Amino acid sequence: MEAAKKDLIYLYCVTKKVPKLKEGEGRVYFVYHQGLYAVVSKVKESEFSAENLKKNLANLAWIKSKVNIHEKIIEGVMRDTCVLPFKFGTIFKTEDSLKTMLEKHMGEFKENLENLEGKEEWGVKIYCDIEKLKSTLIKEEAEILKMGKEIASSSPGKAYVLKKKKEELMKEALNRRINEYGQESFEILRGLSIEARINKLLPKEVTERDDEMILNSAFLVDKNRVAEFIQAADGLKVKYKERGLNFDCTGPWPPYNFTTIKEEG
Amino acid sequence: MAEADVITKSKDVTLLEVLDRVLDKGAVVSGDIVISIADVDLIYIGLKVLLSSVETMERLRGAPMPGAREEPT
Repeated sequence: MEAAKKDLIYLYCVTKKVPKLKEGEGRVYFVYHQGLYAVVSKVKESEFSAENLKKNLANLAWIKSKVNIHEKIIEGVMRDTCVLPFKFGTIFKTEDSLKTMLEKHMGEFKENLENLEGKEEWGVKIYCDIEKLKSTLIKEEAEILKMGKEIASSSPGKAYVLKKKKEELMKEALNRRINEYGQESFEILRGLSIEARINKLLPKEVTERDDEMILNSAFLVDKNRVAEFIQAADGLKVKYKERGLNFDCTGPWPPYNFTTIKEEG
Repeated sequence: MAEADVITKSKDVTLLEVLDRVLDKGAVVSGDIVISIADVDLIYIGLKVLLSSVETMERLRGAPMPGAREEPT
């Protein structure tokens, strides 16, 4: 063994049943306390001490590899046990301090795990190709159609003013339709789930896509209804394809969006 | 007809999908070391900086940018 360097304890998730840990996913083990299993691994202070962690958070390659490990380990456990997933970078200095935390939150953790049993998190992000939607609306919106005809038969001066007006109308129509489609999709999917969340929209710089994100949502779905849920998402995709909407439906995820434990500060 | 290709199983989802969950969702407890909300914002800012520098590189190489407009020179 190497000379004792200080290790920290990184917490991935908590379960109520003995978690099956896969080999080759890092040195993962569990800490048992009062009916709860905390899935953890030892991490180095040189990477995860408060100070070093802050430095590493500026390094995207580092973040990328670590968040993937975080996700993979939880997914591995999730395959045969219901998990309560923790936020990336939840770290304890000693096993005692981890156990103190487990003791403090025992009731909530057990309650959350009971609520999550037999359910899966699915994510649905909807994107919109604005130009494609515009080209449909030009043909559909009566007011815009009318304005187009008027422009064609107007003097250049009047046409200029009307064009500005037409652009305004288009903007309004786009907003109205995008809201309508987003809301309809969300309601349909919510109807097939136990709980649903709407999250912050992410800008193009982050999504790296040409189309605009118009809905970022997450659903907690009963395992028995997942097929139905996916079918509904696929139905929406087909329905709105010609209108420039693109659906990204992913899962099953660890239920990050449906834990109620938020102890800030 | 479109098959259920709308579904991408978590194996090949993007880094964004993972980041969007693990950074500010999940159970939050006061561990001995935790990532603050400000840190999460910094990561997103870092992500944008990186992406824009990739964009700049492509522009310098003369690759056409999808949806890019000609900039007045």
